[in-house]
Amino acid sequence: MADDTHSPGEPTPASSRETDQYLPPDAIPETAPRREDDVATRLAAAVPSMPRLLKYAIAITVAVLWIVPFLGLFMASFRPLGEILAGWWHVEGMTITLENYTRAWSYQTAPMGRALFNTLVVTVPAVLVVMLLGAMAAYPFARFEFPLKTTLFFLILLVMAAPPELVAMGNYNTLREIGLFDSYMGLILVHIGWGLGWVVLFLRNYLLGIPVELEEAARIDGASRYQIFRTIILPLSTPALVSVAVIQFTWVWNAFFFPLVFMRSPELYLAPQVLPLMTGRIQVEWGLVAAGSVMTMAVPVFLFLVLERYYKQGVVAAVTD
Amino acid sequence: MTQITMEDVSKYFDDGETVANYRLNLEVEDGEFIVFLGPSGCGKTTALRLVAGLEDPSEGAIYFDGQRVDGRSPSDRNVAMVFQNYALYPHMTVAENVAYPLKIQGVPPDERDRKVEEAMSFLHIEDQADKPPAELSGGQRQRVALARAIVREPSVFLLDEPLSNLDAKLRQEMRSELKRLQDELGITTIYVTHNQEEAMSMAHRVVVMNRGTIRQVAPPGELYSRPRTEWVARFIGSPPMNLLRGTRQNGSIEFGEAGSVDLRRTSPGGLETVPRGTVSLGVRPEDITVETDPPSGTAAIEGTVDTVEPLGEYTIVNVAVADQIVNAKVSSTSVDREDRVYLTFDDDDAYLYDENGELLS
Repeated sequence: MADDTHSPGEPTPASSRETDQYLPPDAIPETAPRREDDVATRLAAAVPSMPRLLKYAIAITVAVLWIVPFLGLFMASFRPLGEILAGWWHVEGMTITLENYTRAWSYQTAPMGRALFNTLVVTVPAVLVVMLLGAMAAYPFARFEFPLKTTLFFLILLVMAAPPELVAMGNYNTLREIGLFDSYMGLILVHIGWGLGWVVLFLRNYLLGIPVELEEAARIDGASRYQIFRTIILPLSTPALVSVAVIQFTWVWNAFFFPLVFMRSPELYLAPQVLPLMTGRIQVEWGLVAAGSVMTMAVPVFLFLVLERYYKQGVVAAVTD
Repeated sequence: MTQITMEDVSKYFDDGETVANYRLNLEVEDGEFIVFLGPSGCGKTTALRLVAGLEDPSEGAIYFDGQRVDGRSPSDRNVAMVFQNYALYPHMTVAENVAYPLKIQGVPPDERDRKVEEAMSFLHIEDQADKPPAELSGGQRQRVALARAIVREPSVFLLDEPLSNLDAKLRQEMRSELKRLQDELGITTIYVTHNQEEAMSMAHRVVVMNRGTIRQVAPPGELYSRPRTEWVARFIGSPPMNLLRGTRQNGSIEFGEAGSVDLRRTSPGGLETVPRGTVSLGVRPEDITVETDPPSGTAAIEGTVDTVEPLGEYTIVNVAVADQIVNAKVSSTSVDREDRVYLTFDDDDAYLYDENGELLS
């Protein structure tokens, strides 16, 4: 065997190098070889460094600060008023009761059950219609050329910058005139109009990321604009539509200002409106308020937990292909 | 099947600021395999999109079987297209992707299933039917795109650089498969590529494009043996044709200290066809012989070996002739750098181009 791969000056004997250079196929492991370190080394590697510890400490502090009020609310909602007044963080001798919930559900001046129903009646259409209209309005902004496109889009952005207090006055008068004041429909319409701005912006940006080739391929395949929208664009927008649904749902569900302005009759009150009424006259009923709050926020939280999986799936699929 | 005619077709973008295509004139025969070949940005893809109906021509007319189609939607033209990145619908399975054009056409489910199955078995992707495109390899995606294109039996088949995203081995495989496909189906096909090997190996005729216009339309053999302009000559062949600039002097072309070539050898049409002044002599690298001794009798071009590139199958010798480099493709050689060599070639293998780069004689 001639030493044709190494310079002759190299100290290693040519023959041993020759056999080392090419591994036989069975010498290649299936998994990475495990490193055999002793306990001390592994321990040293596992202990985080000082700056890293500091970062952990800050992160944990922020997380705790974030969760403590919610924890307090949750605990208070299950305990009698006496225990709450003594401080919800005292856990010894804790009584767990559902009384707050049952009382809040049918509170005489403003029953939570009724309020939650009203909120649902307003929120579901306000979310669904905004999703559909938003996608239909965002698609032309993302794909078509038409006169005043930039100007119209700028107008949408401008409306988004306006505070709700500003539009409330105009909407109040309009709803009064057309007879939709103090009705589900009126509030739904206000929420649709208010939400459309950001939904169009959000969906347009997402649609811009969908490759044009897909639509061209569909055009070649004979699909009409409407068919492209329904069979290609809408299914591909699922992750964005789910995000819109979750955010818009949370916004409409938790909205306090719009129901306050546009809902006058107590039987039409929405959940966020009812909460302050539960404070009672003589003494603040912390338990009732806490139970009401937990019930109110349970719905958007539940929705988020359920949809988060789809949302994640959709986003991953959108990124990998 | 369909015959395609393009008449003075021009396409401008940005209010005429960009000229993508300028006055294309082309006849594609029924069942022909045509390849648009050219460097990137030469307007070949735009030309394809004009035929597809994804773009409308700014000027000119396009006919399918004598019927004017420009202004009509792609679906009215019954064209199928395969995109460079395949453009598979990511939210549908392979089978759904292939079935999509039929679904849009409203083909009844029974017939649809049968046709989809046929197309998928034709391209050997039956096993992938229920997978989403994201789980497929590049070659498989390519096949799905082809299946989706052939499933509705189009009259024109358009392919936009379909092989450029595949690795070299797969590209070769798909190349012969595409050729087989076109041959078996007999669909008029336009194929866009910047890869001359693909173009030469598949096309009935190659359309060489540059700066938005057609430079030459010819079968691969003719394109190689009779490039109409210097530009085409340099574009076809690997390494490209050598073009030596010289000055015409009476009966020969002078290359300064490198020697001269007798004009009678290269212009059978006679001396009159060759203008005075600068001309270019073109010889393909594979037609050049490298010799170390001055050949007796014939005139040779003299030069110094610059580099030698042994590529196994053949060796490329780069020779400095005056101030230009000439590539010679030889089967084996004993020359080394700095050697003095003489380059000879057959009379038939030489081409003369005038100052404007047009082929003489």
